[in-house]
Amino acid sequence: MSNGGSDMRSLWRGPLLAWIVLMGLFAISLGSAYIPLGHGNVAVNLLIAAVMLAVLATFLMDLKNAKSLVRIVAMAGLFWIMMMFSLTFSDYLTRW
Amino acid sequence: MTDLARALQEPWPDLRMQREGVSLGMWFFLASEVLFFAALFCSYAIYRSYNPEAFRIAGAHTKVIYGSINTVLLLTSSLTMTVALRAATAQLRRVTLICLGITVALGLAFLITKGLEYHDDIEEHLVPGTGFPLSPPATQIFWGLYWIMTGIHAIHLSAGVVVVIAVMIIFGRRIIPVQGSTMEGVAIYWHFVDSVWIFLYPLIYLAGRA
Repeated sequence: MSNGGSDMRSLWRGPLLAWIVLMGLFAISLGSAYIPLGHGNVAVNLLIAAVMLAVLATFLMDLKNAKSLVRIVAMAGLFWIMMMFSLTFSDYLTRW
Repeated sequence: MTDLARALQEPWPDLRMQREGVSLGMWFFLASEVLFFAALFCSYAIYRSYNPEAFRIAGAHTKVIYGSINTVLLLTSSLTMTVALRAATAQLRRVTLICLGITVALGLAFLITKGLEYHDDIEEHLVPGTGFPLSPPATQIFWGLYWIMTGIHAIHLSAGVVVVIAVMIIFGRRIIPVQGSTMEGVAIYWHFVDSVWIFLYPLIYLAGRA
Protein backbone atom coordinates (compact mmCIF):
# COMPACT_ATOMS: atom_id res chain seq x y z
CA MET A 1 0.00 0.00 0.00
CA SER A 2 2.78 2.35 0.94
CA ASN A 3 4.52 1.42 -2.32
CA GLY A 4 1.36 2.31 -4.22
CA GLY A 5 1.26 5.71 -2.48
CA SER A 6 4.92 6.24 -3.29
CA ASP A 7 4.25 5.28 -6.94
CA MET A 8 1.41 7.77 -7.15
CA ARG A 9 3.50 10.54 -5.61
CA SER A 10 6.33 9.97 -8.08
CA LEU A 11 3.81 9.92 -10.97
CA TRP A 12 2.28 13.25 -10.01
CA ARG A 13 5.12 15.25 -8.40
CA GLY A 14 6.97 16.57 -11.48
CA PRO A 15 3.92 17.18 -13.70
CA LEU A 16 2.03 18.83 -10.83
CA LEU A 17 4.91 21.23 -10.22
CA ALA A 18 4.96 22.15 -13.94
CA TRP A 19 1.17 22.63 -13.85
CA ILE A 20 1.44 24.99 -10.84
CA VAL A 21 4.07 27.05 -12.70
CA LEU A 22 1.84 27.15 -15.80
CA MET A 23 -1.14 28.28 -13.73
CA GLY A 24 0.98 31.02 -12.13
CA LEU A 25 2.16 32.23 -15.54
CA PHE A 26 -1.42 32.16 -16.85
CA ALA A 27 -2.55 34.31 -13.90
CA ILE A 28 0.29 36.80 -14.49
CA SER A 29 -0.58 36.96 -18.20
CA LEU A 30 -4.27 37.63 -17.49
CA GLY A 31 -3.51 40.20 -14.77
CA SER A 32 -0.88 42.06 -16.81
CA ALA A 33 -3.32 42.44 -19.73
CA TYR A 34 -5.32 44.93 -17.63
CA ILE A 35 -2.30 47.13 -16.84
CA PRO A 36 -1.97 49.84 -19.52
CA LEU A 37 1.48 49.29 -21.07
CA GLY A 38 0.69 50.31 -24.65
CA HIS A 39 2.53 48.01 -27.04
CA GLY A 40 4.19 46.48 -23.97
CA ASN A 41 1.02 44.48 -23.22
CA VAL A 42 1.31 42.22 -26.23
CA ALA A 43 5.08 41.89 -25.71
CA VAL A 44 4.61 40.81 -22.07
CA ASN A 45 1.80 38.42 -23.01
CA LEU A 46 3.83 36.81 -25.80
CA LEU A 47 6.91 36.54 -23.59
CA ILE A 48 4.85 34.75 -20.92
CA ALA A 49 3.33 32.49 -23.60
CA ALA A 50 6.85 31.60 -24.80
CA VAL A 51 7.89 30.70 -21.23
CA MET A 52 4.71 28.63 -20.83
CA LEU A 53 5.51 26.79 -24.07
CA ALA A 54 9.05 26.11 -22.82
CA VAL A 55 7.71 24.69 -19.51
CA LEU A 56 5.13 22.57 -21.36
CA ALA A 57 7.62 21.23 -23.90
CA THR A 58 10.40 20.60 -21.40
CA PHE A 59 8.51 19.04 -18.52
CA LEU A 60 5.14 17.81 -19.81
CA MET A 61 6.19 16.83 -23.36
CA ASP A 62 9.35 15.54 -21.67
CA LEU A 63 11.83 17.03 -24.14
CA LYS A 64 14.32 17.23 -21.24
CA ASN A 65 14.67 13.44 -21.38
CA ALA A 66 14.29 13.12 -25.17
CA LYS A 67 17.04 12.02 -27.55
CA SER A 68 18.95 14.75 -29.39
CA LEU A 69 17.32 13.77 -32.70
CA VAL A 70 13.83 14.29 -31.24
CA ARG A 71 14.86 17.67 -29.81
CA ILE A 72 16.28 18.74 -33.18
CA VAL A 73 13.03 17.83 -34.98
CA ALA A 74 11.02 19.67 -32.31
CA MET A 75 13.23 22.75 -32.72
CA ALA A 76 12.95 22.55 -36.53
CA GLY A 77 9.32 23.71 -36.33
CA LEU A 78 10.34 26.77 -34.31
CA PHE A 79 13.26 27.49 -36.63
CA TRP A 80 10.99 27.55 -39.71
CA ILE A 81 8.47 29.75 -37.88
CA MET A 82 11.29 32.24 -37.30
CA MET A 83 12.17 32.06 -41.00
CA MET A 84 8.53 32.59 -41.99
CA PHE A 85 8.12 35.62 -39.73
CA SER A 86 11.50 37.11 -40.65
CA LEU A 87 10.97 36.86 -44.40
CA THR A 88 7.34 38.00 -44.24
CA PHE A 89 8.04 41.03 -42.06
CA SER A 90 11.17 41.95 -44.00
CA ASP A 91 8.64 42.76 -46.71
CA TYR A 92 5.68 44.20 -44.77
CA LEU A 93 7.70 46.35 -42.35
CA THR A 94 9.80 47.90 -45.11
CA ARG A 95 6.91 49.10 -47.32
CA TRP A 96 6.81 52.87 -47.37
CA MET B 1 1.56 -14.20 -25.48
CA THR B 2 2.91 -11.84 -22.81
CA ASP B 3 1.96 -8.16 -22.57
CA LEU B 4 5.48 -7.22 -23.57
CA ALA B 5 5.38 -9.39 -26.71
CA ARG B 6 2.02 -7.89 -27.72
CA ALA B 7 3.26 -4.35 -27.12
CA LEU B 8 6.40 -4.76 -29.21
CA GLN B 9 6.01 -4.20 -32.97
CA GLU B 10 8.43 -4.95 -35.78
CA PRO B 11 11.11 -3.81 -36.53
CA TRP B 12 11.88 -2.62 -32.99
CA PRO B 13 14.21 -4.70 -30.80
CA ASP B 14 12.80 -3.24 -27.56
CA LEU B 15 9.99 -1.01 -26.25
CA ARG B 16 12.27 1.91 -25.42
CA MET B 17 13.38 2.25 -29.06
CA GLN B 18 9.81 1.73 -30.27
CA ARG B 19 8.61 4.59 -28.04
CA GLU B 20 11.40 6.82 -29.34
CA GLY B 21 10.42 5.94 -32.91
CA VAL B 22 6.78 6.89 -32.29
CA SER B 23 7.86 10.07 -30.52
CA LEU B 24 10.13 11.07 -33.41
CA GLY B 25 7.39 10.37 -35.98
CA MET B 26 4.87 12.44 -34.04
CA TRP B 27 7.32 15.34 -33.72
CA PHE B 28 7.86 15.26 -37.50
CA PHE B 29 4.09 15.47 -38.00
CA LEU B 30 3.84 18.29 -35.46
CA ALA B 31 6.64 20.25 -37.17
CA SER B 32 4.36 20.40 -40.23
CA GLU B 33 1.39 21.31 -38.02
CA VAL B 34 3.47 24.09 -36.46
CA LEU B 35 3.93 25.64 -39.90
CA PHE B 36 0.22 25.30 -40.65
CA PHE B 37 -0.68 27.28 -37.52
CA ALA B 38 2.30 29.62 -38.03
CA ALA B 39 0.76 30.83 -41.31
CA LEU B 40 -2.36 31.85 -39.39
CA PHE B 41 -0.36 33.52 -36.62
CA CYS B 42 1.68 35.33 -39.26
CA SER B 43 -1.51 36.61 -40.93
CA TYR B 44 -2.70 37.81 -37.53
CA ALA B 45 0.60 39.60 -36.90
CA ILE B 46 0.55 41.35 -40.28
CA TYR B 47 -3.04 42.55 -39.98
CA ARG B 48 -2.54 43.60 -36.37
CA SER B 49 0.58 45.60 -37.26
CA TYR B 50 -1.43 47.42 -39.95
CA ASN B 51 -4.61 47.88 -37.85
CA PRO B 52 -3.55 48.12 -34.19
CA GLU B 53 -6.52 50.25 -33.07
CA ALA B 54 -9.11 48.10 -34.86
CA PHE B 55 -7.62 44.95 -33.26
CA ARG B 56 -7.73 46.62 -29.83
CA ILE B 57 -11.41 47.52 -30.27
CA ALA B 58 -12.31 44.10 -31.70
CA GLY B 59 -10.29 42.20 -29.07
CA ALA B 60 -12.16 43.95 -26.26
CA HIS B 61 -15.35 42.21 -27.46
CA THR B 62 -14.03 38.65 -27.02
CA LYS B 63 -15.28 36.79 -23.93
CA VAL B 64 -12.24 36.68 -21.67
CA ILE B 65 -14.05 34.61 -19.03
CA TYR B 66 -14.69 31.77 -21.51
CA GLY B 67 -11.12 31.99 -22.82
CA SER B 68 -9.66 31.92 -19.31
CA ILE B 69 -11.81 28.95 -18.20
CA ASN B 70 -10.71 27.10 -21.33
CA THR B 71 -7.04 27.89 -20.65
CA VAL B 72 -7.32 26.35 -17.18
CA LEU B 73 -9.16 23.32 -18.59
CA LEU B 74 -6.54 22.69 -21.29
CA LEU B 75 -3.52 23.19 -19.02
CA THR B 76 -5.08 20.79 -16.51
CA SER B 77 -5.78 18.26 -19.26
CA SER B 78 -2.07 18.38 -20.16
CA LEU B 79 -1.28 17.51 -16.52
CA THR B 80 -3.60 14.47 -16.53
CA MET B 81 -2.32 13.40 -19.96
CA THR B 82 1.28 13.51 -18.71
CA VAL B 83 0.36 11.41 -15.66
CA ALA B 84 -1.50 8.98 -17.96
CA LEU B 85 1.66 8.55 -20.05
CA ARG B 86 3.86 8.06 -16.98
CA ALA B 87 1.37 5.57 -15.55
CA ALA B 88 1.28 3.69 -18.86
CA THR B 89 5.08 3.46 -18.95
CA ALA B 90 4.98 2.14 -15.36
CA GLN B 91 2.35 -0.43 -16.48
CA LEU B 92 -0.30 1.04 -14.17
CA ARG B 93 -3.27 0.25 -16.41
CA ARG B 94 -6.05 1.46 -14.09
CA VAL B 95 -4.36 4.81 -13.36
CA THR B 96 -3.72 5.26 -17.09
CA LEU B 97 -7.38 4.72 -17.93
CA ILE B 98 -8.60 7.03 -15.12
CA CYS B 99 -6.24 9.83 -16.18
CA LEU B 100 -7.23 9.41 -19.85
CA GLY B 101 -10.89 9.58 -18.79
CA ILE B 102 -10.29 12.84 -16.91
CA THR B 103 -8.37 14.21 -19.92
CA VAL B 104 -11.30 13.44 -22.24
CA ALA B 105 -13.72 15.04 -19.76
CA LEU B 106 -11.60 18.19 -19.65
CA GLY B 107 -11.35 18.23 -23.46
CA LEU B 108 -15.13 17.91 -23.76
CA ALA B 109 -15.60 20.65 -21.13
CA PHE B 110 -13.37 22.88 -23.29
CA LEU B 111 -15.49 22.19 -26.38
CA ILE B 112 -18.76 22.82 -24.49
CA THR B 113 -17.39 26.13 -23.14
CA LYS B 114 -16.27 27.03 -26.65
CA GLY B 115 -19.78 26.22 -27.93
CA LEU B 116 -21.32 28.54 -25.33
CA GLU B 117 -18.88 31.25 -26.32
CA TYR B 118 -19.67 30.84 -30.03
CA HIS B 119 -23.37 31.04 -29.18
CA ASP B 120 -22.87 34.37 -27.37
CA ASP B 121 -20.69 35.69 -30.22
CA ILE B 122 -23.31 34.82 -32.82
CA GLU B 123 -26.07 36.41 -30.69
CA GLU B 124 -24.01 39.63 -30.72
CA HIS B 125 -23.63 39.31 -34.54
CA LEU B 126 -19.83 39.17 -34.22
CA VAL B 127 -19.53 37.36 -37.53
CA PRO B 128 -17.87 39.28 -40.38
CA GLY B 129 -20.35 40.34 -43.04
CA THR B 130 -23.59 42.30 -43.26
CA GLY B 131 -24.76 43.67 -39.91
CA PHE B 132 -21.38 43.40 -38.19
CA PRO B 133 -21.76 45.77 -35.21
CA LEU B 134 -18.20 47.08 -34.75
CA SER B 135 -16.24 49.79 -36.51
CA PRO B 136 -13.79 50.54 -38.09
CA PRO B 137 -14.25 47.90 -40.83
CA ALA B 138 -10.86 46.32 -40.01
CA THR B 139 -12.40 44.93 -36.80
CA GLN B 140 -13.94 42.32 -39.11
CA ILE B 141 -10.43 41.08 -39.95
CA PHE B 142 -9.83 40.32 -36.28
CA TRP B 143 -13.13 38.49 -35.98
CA GLY B 144 -12.50 36.60 -39.23
CA LEU B 145 -9.21 35.39 -37.79
CA TYR B 146 -10.93 34.64 -34.46
CA TRP B 147 -13.39 32.24 -36.10
CA ILE B 148 -10.76 30.58 -38.30
CA MET B 149 -8.05 30.18 -35.65
CA THR B 150 -10.26 29.08 -32.75
CA GLY B 151 -12.33 26.91 -35.11
CA ILE B 152 -9.31 25.06 -36.47
CA HIS B 153 -7.97 24.67 -32.95
CA ALA B 154 -11.32 23.22 -31.82
CA ILE B 155 -11.23 20.76 -34.75
CA HIS B 156 -7.75 19.64 -33.63
CA LEU B 157 -8.95 19.24 -30.05
CA SER B 158 -12.02 17.28 -31.21
CA ALA B 159 -9.70 14.94 -33.13
CA GLY B 160 -7.62 14.56 -29.96
CA VAL B 161 -10.71 13.70 -27.89
CA VAL B 162 -11.77 11.05 -30.46
CA VAL B 163 -8.27 9.55 -30.50
CA VAL B 164 -8.05 9.41 -26.69
CA ILE B 165 -11.48 7.72 -26.48
CA ALA B 166 -10.34 5.19 -29.12
CA VAL B 167 -7.15 4.52 -27.16
CA MET B 168 -9.18 4.04 -23.96
CA ILE B 169 -11.31 1.44 -25.73
CA ILE B 170 -8.20 -0.33 -27.05
CA PHE B 171 -6.62 -0.36 -23.59
CA GLY B 172 -9.92 -1.24 -21.90
CA ARG B 173 -10.36 -4.32 -24.13
CA ARG B 174 -6.66 -5.18 -23.65
CA ILE B 175 -6.14 -5.21 -27.45
CA ILE B 176 -2.82 -3.41 -26.86
CA PRO B 177 -1.16 -3.23 -23.42
CA VAL B 178 -0.78 0.26 -21.95
CA GLN B 179 3.00 0.11 -21.80
CA GLY B 180 3.28 0.00 -25.60
CA SER B 181 4.19 3.06 -27.64
CA THR B 182 0.58 4.19 -28.32
CA MET B 183 0.45 6.62 -25.40
CA GLU B 184 3.66 8.33 -26.51
CA GLY B 185 2.15 9.66 -29.75
CA VAL B 186 -1.23 10.49 -28.22
CA ALA B 187 0.32 12.50 -25.37
CA ILE B 188 2.60 14.56 -27.61
CA TYR B 189 -0.30 15.43 -29.94
CA TRP B 190 -2.50 16.46 -26.99
CA HIS B 191 0.20 18.74 -25.59
CA PHE B 192 0.67 20.30 -29.02
CA VAL B 193 -3.02 21.30 -29.16
CA ASP B 194 -2.53 22.82 -25.69
CA SER B 195 0.58 24.72 -26.81
CA VAL B 196 -1.31 26.31 -29.75
CA TRP B 197 -3.92 27.54 -27.28
CA ILE B 198 -1.20 29.06 -25.08
CA PHE B 199 -0.54 31.53 -27.91
CA LEU B 200 -4.14 31.91 -29.09
CA TYR B 201 -5.27 32.96 -25.62
CA PRO B 202 -3.24 36.20 -25.28
CA LEU B 203 -3.63 37.17 -28.94
CA ILE B 204 -7.39 36.65 -29.07
CA TYR B 205 -8.63 37.25 -25.53
CA LEU B 206 -6.13 39.64 -23.96
CA ALA B 207 -5.84 42.07 -26.89
CA GLY B 208 -7.48 45.35 -25.98
CA ARG B 209 -8.04 44.69 -22.26
CA ALA B 210 -5.87 47.53 -20.90
